[in-house]
Amino acid sequence: MRLSKKALAVLITAAMITSAMTACSSSSSSADASSASSSSTAGSSTADGATADGDRIIAAAKEGKVGNWGLGNEYEIFALLTKYGQENKFISQAFDMDGFDDGSITLASAMTYNELGLVKNSYEGGYKYGDKVGIIDMNDEGVAMLEDNLFCTKEFAKKNPNTVKAFIAASMKGWKYACENPEEAAKIVYEAGSSVSSDHQAYMASEVKKLCETDTKGNKVTDYGKMDEAAMQQTLDLAKKYIKLDDSTAADKLKSLTLDDIRSTSYWEDAMKESFDKPEKTDVSIQLKWLPQAQFMGYFVANAKGYYKDVGLNVNIVSGGGDIGETTAVNNGTVDFGVTWVSNLISANAGGMDLLEIAQVYQRSGLVLVYKK
Amino acid sequence: MSVRSNSKRKNAVQSAILPLAFGAVLVTAWQTGLLHKLLNTDEYVLPYPTRILTIIGENSDKIMENVWASLEVALLGLVFGSILGYLIAVFAAAFTKIGSGSLTIISSFNAIPIVALAPVIINWTKDVSPEAEVRSTVAKVVIVTIVCMASMSVNAYRGLTELPAFSQDLMKTYGAGRITEFAKLRLPNSVPYIFTALRVSVPVSIISALVSEYFAEYVIGVGRQIRENILIAQYSTAWAYIIVACVIGIAMYVLLIAAEALVLKKRR
Repeated sequence: MRLSKKALAVLITAAMITSAMTACSSSSSSADASSASSSSTAGSSTADGATADGDRIIAAAKEGKVGNWGLGNEYEIFALLTKYGQENKFISQAFDMDGFDDGSITLASAMTYNELGLVKNSYEGGYKYGDKVGIIDMNDEGVAMLEDNLFCTKEFAKKNPNTVKAFIAASMKGWKYACENPEEAAKIVYEAGSSVSSDHQAYMASEVKKLCETDTKGNKVTDYGKMDEAAMQQTLDLAKKYIKLDDSTAADKLKSLTLDDIRSTSYWEDAMKESFDKPEKTDVSIQLKWLPQAQFMGYFVANAKGYYKDVGLNVNIVSGGGDIGETTAVNNGTVDFGVTWVSNLISANAGGMDLLEIAQVYQRSGLVLVYKK
Repeated sequence: MSVRSNSKRKNAVQSAILPLAFGAVLVTAWQTGLLHKLLNTDEYVLPYPTRILTIIGENSDKIMENVWASLEVALLGLVFGSILGYLIAVFAAAFTKIGSGSLTIISSFNAIPIVALAPVIINWTKDVSPEAEVRSTVAKVVIVTIVCMASMSVNAYRGLTELPAFSQDLMKTYGAGRITEFAKLRLPNSVPYIFTALRVSVPVSIISALVSEYFAEYVIGVGRQIRENILIAQYSTAWAYIIVACVIGIAMYVLLIAAEALVLKKRR
C-alpha cells in the first residue's frame, strides 16, 4: 500500500514535469497542462442536512478530509475523532479557507470569530457561503479545550504580585467594556494597527464577546477572566491524552501535571476585589498569540481607555503572528505577559518552562469544524 | 612524486583534524554550559547534547520514518531537477539564440523564495490525487525539482558551451556531425560542471524539501517536525530533528564529494 502510493507519487510527478515541458515546447499555455491533469473532483458531497454530525465526521475522517492547522491547535480534533472511533489524523490546513472552498477539505477547522466569518460573510476576503455552511461545535461535542488565557512566569508573579494583580484588574475592565461595546472595541482595535478589514473586525468582536460570556455548557458567565474549575480540568485531561511528546522527560512531566502546576486563581481573585498595592514593575508588555485583531480586544480597549494608566501601568502590546512562540517569549523574559491557549501552556510546562495562568479570558472553545451544506 | 603525495596526505589530515577539533571544542562548550553563557541563552531553548541524543535514541523509529519521507522528496527532486536542468542546457546549447535568454529566465527561478513558491505549487498539484499523502509528495518533489533545475541548467550550459580552444575546429576537421560533437566533446566537457551544479543543488534540495514540508497538506518530514515542536515549545525534540537534518545534509554532501572524486579521477 505504502509502496504503491510512493510509486504513484513518482509517476505523477514525472508525468507533470513532462506535461509541463511539452506545454512549454509546443508553445501552448501552461494553464492547459494544469487543467489537463485535473481530471476529477470527486462528486461525493450530496448535501442533505439530515446527515448527523457523527456520520459526517466519520465520513470525512475515512476520506482523510478533516483539516486543521496543526502546530498545537489539533488536540480537540483528535479528541473528536477518537470520540467517533476514527484515526487521529488530519490534513494540514493553510491559514486561509481555500482548501475548504475547493473541496480538498470537507470538514475544515475554523475559529468562530475568524475563519467562520470569512467563510460565511461577503465582505473583503470573505468566501460568501452565508447559511450554506454548517458547523460542528467542540463545546457541544464535549471535547472543548479552553483557549485564549493570560499568563506570565511563576517567577514574575512571585516577584511582582501587585503588578500582576493590577494588570489583571485593568485588563478585565477592558474586556468587560469591550464585550459591552463590541462595535467600539472593534474600532479601537482597527485603529491600533489591525491586520484585517474593519468589517471583519466588527464580526470578530461580536463573536469573541460570546466566547467571553458563555461557558462550555452554554451558561452565561459574568466574571470576566474567571477560571472555571471543571473546564480547566477537562482541558488538562484532554491535553494529557492527546498531546504526544517525543521527549520522554517532557512526556512524564505532562502526565504528572495538575491544575496547580499551571494556574493560580489568587491573583485574579485579588484583582477582582481591587485589593492590590502600587505595582512593583510599572513598564510591562504583553505578547499576543496572533496579529492585532479583536481576538485581543480587551487589552487594546484597556490601553485606549486608560485603564492601565489608572492602575499605574505603562503597557506595551506586542503583536504576534507567524512563528512567534508566545510561551517562549514570556519564558525568556522578552515580554512580561502573554496570551496563549491553555493546551500550549501545558505542553510548554511539560517541556520544562515554569508558566502560570493568571486569568482565563475565553470561557468556551472557539473551535468549530465547518462543512458545506 | 612521493613528496607530493606525502604533502597531499598531510593536507588531508590537516583539513580533517581542524574541523574535528573545532567540533569537539564546540560540543564540550555546549555540554558544559559555556556556550549558553556566550550566546546569552538558556538550556531550554538550546538543550544539552546529551538530552538531544537521548531523544534521538528513544524515537529512532519515528525519526527514521520522517527522515525517509524528507530524503525521498529531496532525492527525487534532485534527480528530476538535475535531469530536467541538463536537458534544458542541451536545448539551450543547441539553439544558443533562444537558449541563453531562456536560461536567464530559468535561473531567475532560483531567486523565488521557497516560502512563496510552496503554496503556489501545492495549489497547482491539488487535483493530482485524492490521497493527501500522494499529492503532498508530488507538490514537494515539484518544488525541489524547480529549485534544483535552475542551478543545473546554468552550470551545464557553461559546460556544454565553454569548450577548450580549437576543440570545435578539430571536430569540424574530422567531419564530425552535431551528434558526434555532442557525445565526444560537449558531454564529457560538461561533467565537471555537473558536479559544480550538484555541490549547490544537493544542500539546496534538502533545505527546500524541509521548508516545503511546512506547507504540505500531509503532515510528515524532518522540517515539519522541527516547526511543530518549536511551536509547542518542545525545543529538545526540535533540536533532535535539527541534528538529524544536519546529519542528512552532511552525509549527502560527503557522498557527492566521494562520487565526484571517483568520476573525475577516472577522467584524468
